[in-house]
Amino acid sequence: MIHRSLLRYRGARYLWWALILIAGSSVLYATQNRDIQPPNGGTWQGYVLGTIGALLIVWLTLLAVRKRSYRSTNGSVQGWTSAHVYLGSALLIVATLHCGFQFGWNVHTLSYVLMCIVIFSGFFGLYSYINNPQLISSNREGGARSLLFAELFELDKQSRSLSQRCAPAVAIAVDSGIERTTLGGGVYAQLFSRDHSYFLRESSKGSALVRNVDQQALIDHVAERLPRAEKGTEAANLQQLIILLCRRQAVVRRLRRDIRLSGWLKIWLYFHVPMTVALLVALVLHIVVTFFYW
Amino acid sequence: MDVLLRELREGPDGIPEYNDTEISAAELTIGSGADQNIQLLGKQVAAEQAIIRKSGRRLELESRVGRVVVNNQKVGTAKLNNGDVILIGGHELSIAEPPGGFDVAIILRPDTSIGAGEFEGAFRADLKQTWLSKRKVAWLSAALILLLCLIVPLAAVKMHRADKPVPAMMPSDAFWTSGPLSAAHRQATGDRCDSCHKVLFQHVQDSSCLECHQTIHDHVSPERLKLTKLDPTQRCATCHREHNEPESYMVHSGDKQCTECHADSATLFPLLKVEPVRGFSKATHPAFTASLLKPRGVTGASNANDVAAVQATQPGVVPFVWTTEVTGLDDASEQSNLKFSHSQHLDPDRVRRINDSKALSCLDCHRPEQDGQHFEPIRMESRCASCHELTFDPGAPQRQLPHGKPRDVILTLQDYFTRKFSDPSAAEPVRARRRLPGHDDPEETCTGSPVECAKRSARNEIEAQFSRRGCIGCHVVLDTKSDTLLERFQVYPIRFQRDYFPAAQFDHRSHQIQGKLTGDDACLSCHAAKQSTESKDLLLPALPKCEECHGDKPAVQRVKVQCISCHAFHPKSTDGLTGRMAKREAVSIRSESKDKAQ
Repeated sequence: MIHRSLLRYRGARYLWWALILIAGSSVLYATQNRDIQPPNGGTWQGYVLGTIGALLIVWLTLLAVRKRSYRSTNGSVQGWTSAHVYLGSALLIVATLHCGFQFGWNVHTLSYVLMCIVIFSGFFGLYSYINNPQLISSNREGGARSLLFAELFELDKQSRSLSQRCAPAVAIAVDSGIERTTLGGGVYAQLFSRDHSYFLRESSKGSALVRNVDQQALIDHVAERLPRAEKGTEAANLQQLIILLCRRQAVVRRLRRDIRLSGWLKIWLYFHVPMTVALLVALVLHIVVTFFYW
Repeated sequence: MDVLLRELREGPDGIPEYNDTEISAAELTIGSGADQNIQLLGKQVAAEQAIIRKSGRRLELESRVGRVVVNNQKVGTAKLNNGDVILIGGHELSIAEPPGGFDVAIILRPDTSIGAGEFEGAFRADLKQTWLSKRKVAWLSAALILLLCLIVPLAAVKMHRADKPVPAMMPSDAFWTSGPLSAAHRQATGDRCDSCHKVLFQHVQDSSCLECHQTIHDHVSPERLKLTKLDPTQRCATCHREHNEPESYMVHSGDKQCTECHADSATLFPLLKVEPVRGFSKATHPAFTASLLKPRGVTGASNANDVAAVQATQPGVVPFVWTTEVTGLDDASEQSNLKFSHSQHLDPDRVRRINDSKALSCLDCHRPEQDGQHFEPIRMESRCASCHELTFDPGAPQRQLPHGKPRDVILTLQDYFTRKFSDPSAAEPVRARRRLPGHDDPEETCTGSPVECAKRSARNEIEAQFSRRGCIGCHVVLDTKSDTLLERFQVYPIRFQRDYFPAAQFDHRSHQIQGKLTGDDACLSCHAAKQSTESKDLLLPALPKCEECHGDKPAVQRVKVQCISCHAFHPKSTDGLTGRMAKREAVSIRSESKDKAQ
């Protein structure tokens, strides 16, 4: 598994790099003379830590470039990503030591906060990349998502066609149930599998739109008609229809889960990437502004 | 609207097959969604892609997402005629002449290369299809940061410099601060960074500090600095670091800053003859030296070096000049010209307070000043007179001699006895006294004229006061043997040192309680007053005494002291440390005594 081996790349080589970086930064931090001023970014050690941090941020950002340079032989993407994870984590400590635990409502702390958002979203991404691919794969049973959709399409078609041979109320229920099956949708709907499915239920009192969460209500509705089936063929059709609808239910479930897992696998990037850009801008400002008034 | 949809497909044998569907709907919907009248799959087909409706007699096509191709032209909406061909995501829809009973006939030639797997396109199943956008958020946040953290604050800086009011809510250069200002500076500058930061990309200049701190003095005056090998480019901010928490960092308190130079004084400033200091212990700190009053000699002439403060001239007072000399504490003594025994005054068997008959306490005479360091000058009238009355005639206990004016003493006595003998009734009532064996009372034995008797009695009393009892008890008196009474006795003036350690500060208040010692015990633990019998004894504790409780490093039962606990970095005088040096070398206090009347 590529995602697991990220951490174990070449015997966790970059873990050691990160530990050495943290140890070195801690020594620099500790050597600050506390007589004149508390540890902060303005001592020579603070400047060194800040320079290391800034260079790290720039290099960590370059992963985006390396990832897209398919012809590059400058180290494997896997190695880069492994280093990205470890050194990015170390950055959290380097930057904290750089600022000497001084925070405030200013552009400097803004950079720090943005950096934290990037790093912690990265931690979440790492967690997702380690966990979700397996879950997604087992949910799809090794196939692609399009196979599930193809199956759903065929089941929709078959169910509709079979329902035409049943009572009109059944046909309307199945038709409306298929038409009003929701999958995915907005951010919230994708991430939390919000199910807004309905179907049209015909009864003696008239027709009504009924919630069809997990497609269960539609199956129940069709199944209810089974004992009242008059002709043998109708009963057989209804039975066949129930089987189709149950298969369809399973596929819809899988798809919903697939959309959710894939969403959580990717959502962190919507924080990680834009906040990296914001961080780069804030970082440049942090450096420039420091020398405005120094 | 009744629609006939004919779906044409190529059969397995190459012969076209068709499948007709009748659709009845108000509008004909086309898209990849399952609820569409015509469901067309494909990535380029939206869930709800297009609508065909009747507009008057004609058909109208409306694309709901992007554009669709009608007769090889991309359109948003189009009027449809028979024979028109619509292309949606590879699928071809041709409008045909509707057979009877139908309003519309459409021939659909689906793109057979598009499989059922493309059904995904009917749903929003990827975050990319939501409002989330990495790029937009990135650009937006970058622009916001630039605007709020750079451009607007720069505008505020410009407004500040043009003395235009900056709205309170406007992000200003305060957003660039690297930490909070100390409270005093915040109060003084408000939110105006440019109070100190005058020019962008330039360090805060000392001149900005001195705008307010006008009374601060250099540690070393520029003239003396020239005599050293010290770096003259130190800024105020080298030691005073702003924008740091906690605020106490505003005053640099570390010893290292001092010892960096002072440990190596022999190399860095040999000409200034400053002893090296490396810490606070007998081994690392020079022994204490005190500024002591030393007689410079009895002189009537004024010496340019001696005249620092001239006491009001007094007839009958010896012209006496003191110099302040800096000497070590061992075997040091001081000449104040006062006869005084601390041990006698602190002995309850010999001296008790008048009002409550208790032993004297240090505070009875030594009253601390408000600074907690110095003591009020001791005056005879306020500290001694309650016990030491200046009576001279036991028969007239309420008559007292004037203090501090020897000439007035003589005149008072002469006046008193003249009156007493010339007009006995006007004199004070004389109480009966027991006669001492062998001592004749001159007043009783005087047989001459009242004037002669008065003169003799006055002379006797004056001689007694200045040589046997009275003034002579506390004062040193010079007997010139002059025949003129007014010139015969000259009293040496008394002067106490106010500050024995002018280069150091010491807070007596914080030493009032030392461990379990309080009150006089605390005082006496450092000042050996009980053993002192003479005023020349120096009761100053030496460095080892301090070391009993203090050290330059934190330790058990030791209170850490730093250089600045006792020594101020910025000297009090205007010309750097030269003022103090000059005082050491030359300041003296002079009292002249030529009685111009005589």
